[in-house]
Amino acid sequence: MAISRRTRLHIWFRLLLLQASWNFETLQGIGFFYALFPGLRKLYSKEKLPEVSLKYIDYFNTHVYFAPLVAGAVLRLEEDRASGSVAAEVEIEDFKEMVAAPYAAIGDAFFWGGLRPLAAGVALFFAVKGILWAPLIFLLLYNIVPIWIRTVFFSRGYHQGLKSVEFIQRHKLPDLAIHTKETAVVVLGGLSALMVFSQLTEHQLPSWLGMLTLIPMIMLGLVARKGFSTLLLVIITVSTIFLLGLFWADVVQLIVF
Amino acid sequence: MVLGLTIGALVSLICGLDRVAILQVMISRPIVAAPLTALLLGDPMIGLQIGVMVELLWLARLPVGAAVPPDDTQVAIAGSVLVIILGQSLPASGTELLLLCLFVTIPLGKVGQYFDRYARQYNVRLVKRVSAALSRGSFLAAEGQHLRGLISFSLSSLGTYTIIILGGWSVIPILWPYVQQPLSYSSSWMQLAFPLVGITVILGTINVSRAITLFCASFCMAFLLMWLV
Repeated sequence: MAISRRTRLHIWFRLLLLQASWNFETLQGIGFFYALFPGLRKLYSKEKLPEVSLKYIDYFNTHVYFAPLVAGAVLRLEEDRASGSVAAEVEIEDFKEMVAAPYAAIGDAFFWGGLRPLAAGVALFFAVKGILWAPLIFLLLYNIVPIWIRTVFFSRGYHQGLKSVEFIQRHKLPDLAIHTKETAVVVLGGLSALMVFSQLTEHQLPSWLGMLTLIPMIMLGLVARKGFSTLLLVIITVSTIFLLGLFWADVVQLIVF
Repeated sequence: MVLGLTIGALVSLICGLDRVAILQVMISRPIVAAPLTALLLGDPMIGLQIGVMVELLWLARLPVGAAVPPDDTQVAIAGSVLVIILGQSLPASGTELLLLCLFVTIPLGKVGQYFDRYARQYNVRLVKRVSAALSRGSFLAAEGQHLRGLISFSLSSLGTYTIIILGGWSVIPILWPYVQQPLSYSSSWMQLAFPLVGITVILGTINVSRAITLFCASFCMAFLLMWLV
């Protein structure tokens, strides 16, 4: 029995609530069951359904945007299992375990590590200039890819089942993650230059001074790489600027009098 | 004032849920949450300024697996609420008050980490309840338990928001007379420092070979272009 388009849509919407019960024991396990339940209900009898459902509340964790791909593929496998095409019952569990961690790693690197800083960097160009559309620009830039992945990958997962892994491989997402991160670094470099240049212009200071900003920035970057917390770096930087400001105010006062 | 705090709490709740529990469309990012809060309170530019300063600070802290980063969403929202409301009651306005609010609210973002962890820990008990409901064939109850997890995350967001607001409310009016003048000497430089520190942390932690080279090249190119043009 094939799962109707309407039920698949229902599952897709439920996947938006995947992490509503995120917990330290099963992580997204309950959420994955919750999302797939409309499909499972169509496939299994009332007697068999509790047994099947209980398997889904176990540990499950993948990247939230790749969960629809896993869900789509699992749905197809369940369909096959219910119709008797999949003989070994462990296959679905194995599949879930096999793909969840790699998809999580790819998603973390691409979305959290690459796309988010990139979209934030671009949006901040507008925000620094005082353009109130900046938040919308961020939302638009960031969400195009996740929405596409959540939608298209769910459909691919359902139609291709186990072969959806090949679909992911074809997209070379790990390489794309690296390129996105590199682009983010370039954008953040441009953003830093814009902010420093604007500040110097506002204070009518010589522009070449801006190049010196790179020295403390690289030093702080190296310190951050050693594992120092952001909060500590903020406190150190802001305190230094605060004290220098006080010192400079005294110097100016001395010169004036 | 009560209306302002309530609006802040509503935004805090919605954006807080977007952070982990539902959607993840990034309305929880400070660059969105702070201007949204400030827009509803009537001064979107303050929110935009806060968004710029907070957005990059913890962006390098990835919410990978069970890792919980500090709650920059609530810092941005509560910071915007405090600046706008205190700006009406204190003889103050401008960048200095905004900076003082952030100095107080940013460390309190750590409280959000604690609340978030507690919510996730609390949700562990849902596993047993779902399991029991499924065993007795009560599917509706099992689905309901999943949605109950939203309550934990909602309370976590509101708890963090409340703590930050209370902390700011009790400390800022006391500190303000003492720091207003000293802050004015360097306020614009401090405002610049926040996003730059965030960028350096990203630079230091991003897993890209030649990140510093790329960054410096981009910085110099952009800087020279602006200088020449």
